Amino acid sequence: MEFLGGLLADAVRELFGFGAELRRILFLTLAVAGIATVIGVLVGVPLGTWLALTRHRLRNTIDVLVNAGMGVPPVLAGLLILILLWNDGPLGSLDLVFTPMAMVGAQALLAIPIAAGVTAGAIRGLGPAASEQLIALRLASYRRGFVAAREALPGVIAAVAAAFGRVVSEVGAVLIVGGNIEGETQVLTTAIVQQARQAHFDSALALGFVLLIIVALVNVALGRLRSV
Amino acid sequence: MRFTYPADGSQLDCDVDIPTGMRTVVFGPNGAGKSTLLRLLAGTIGENPWDATYLPQTVYHFRGSAGWNLGLGLNAEQAARARHLADRLGVGHLMEATAVSGGERQRFALARTLARPEPWVLLDEPLAALDTQDRINVARVIVEAIGDRSAVIVTHDQDAAVILGQNMVVLIDGAVHQAGPIHEVFAQPADEAVATAVGLGNVLDGIVRATEGPLCSVASGGSAIWGVGDHELGDTVRVMFGAETVTLYAGTPPSVGSARNAFSGMVTEVRPVGRFVEVVLDAGVPIVALLTPGSLEALGLREGVPATAVVKATAVRVVPS
Repeated sequence: MEFLGGLLADAVRELFGFGAELRRILFLTLAVAGIATVIGVLVGVPLGTWLALTRHRLRNTIDVLVNAGMGVPPVLAGLLILILLWNDGPLGSLDLVFTPMAMVGAQALLAIPIAAGVTAGAIRGLGPAASEQLIALRLASYRRGFVAAREALPGVIAAVAAAFGRVVSEVGAVLIVGGNIEGETQVLTTAIVQQARQAHFDSALALGFVLLIIVALVNVALGRLRSV
Repeated sequence: MRFTYPADGSQLDCDVDIPTGMRTVVFGPNGAGKSTLLRLLAGTIGENPWDATYLPQTVYHFRGSAGWNLGLGLNAEQAARARHLADRLGVGHLMEATAVSGGERQRFALARTLARPEPWVLLDEPLAALDTQDRINVARVIVEAIGDRSAVIVTHDQDAAVILGQNMVVLIDGAVHQAGPIHEVFAQPADEAVATAVGLGNVLDGIVRATEGPLCSVASGGSAIWGVGDHELGDTVRVMFGAETVTLYAGTPPSVGSARNAFSGMVTEVRPVGRFVEVVLDAGVPIVALLTPGSLEALGLREGVPATAVVKATAVRVVPS
């Protein structure tokens, strides 16, 4: 108990001692996870809306892919992006390995299926009367999707929260494509891994606090949006 | 048109003519497949939707004002028409409201559906969520808004069928039992299931004792009833005729003209049915007649009074049992 209490006190002290380095890590974490979430939502929400409303013959296949994608281990998504971006890979000429851009790509890959799956579930959850009425309105398909997503707004906000939660807290993808280079591609989760590996538990814990606070703040903000 | 639709293990197998330029009521008990038929026409299930405007059975009100809901999917001209219809349906003052009752939602959805220009109008239980006193007014607006377009209107309610329909299809357990002008279906139900479903019928069992051209005479409970049907002497048959085809006389009339069937007996029951009255006469067999309250009073009929029921043979159907 004493050990834990001392650790917590050290962690709080660490938090104020990090200074510029912490600010840099924090900024990169928010930027990478934020952009990845925006991409994930911009692609995933329309995809999920389409999945929930379409009778296209490929629907079931894409449904399976999305559901599988929701459970893909982040390290695997990272590996896929790494192979694509590696020197002699198809996108190797872009020279993006171990850059924040690559991290955004890997995390967007994780965010898209989550955003799509949660959105599709929310729209399907509106029930048969809503889906029948949506067809009966005879709207253009993009308008129909807009009305459906608007109706399922609490679910769509949950999709945003789920996507952000998944990417901000994952470590495998950013580690493998970013390389955890201090001052360049280090984010909160990879910094925690590094500090823990060096037995700097107070620092690791302090970073953990910060991560927790970010997730909490984002969810509070989205929760407010939901009740509007 | 023909439909076979498997859903939930049930089967809808219809082969029926639905005339254009008329309002056809699809009538039947709950679970008969009426709504499934309409969904197939509207294309919310199946593959071949008609060019139709469709009011689903369960009206869904989206988040937002009633006015926003009213305008969904409509262009400016149609939206103006929808607002006009909403006014006539008595909900025009609720445009800004976000919380509206079931009956008000129904009216907004009706206004939106009827404001669309499609040549087919499909309405599923359009009067269901409404109070009895509002139904006539709403029905009048519906009939006017449909105009000379073609309409298919699903209902399980006799009054709604009579008010809204010109033509009638009786659907029972996923099969069409009868189709034709609405008066004809009510007056001459094709079989017992239709007679039970439309609820206005006299249904009696008996044995054929005589035949004459298209007619046969059936002995039932000590009475002889003439009706239409090709049967052999001695056949066991079922006789059916609508309660509204029965003419009642107090006591015994001097003449009943061309009518073949005259049953004298005592009134055993007088019961209100909607805005009408059913009178049951014991003439060896029970005969049910549908009257207006005014006629009942004029005839001075009440329980225990002698009366005579007269039915034309051509209004009586005789079918195998």
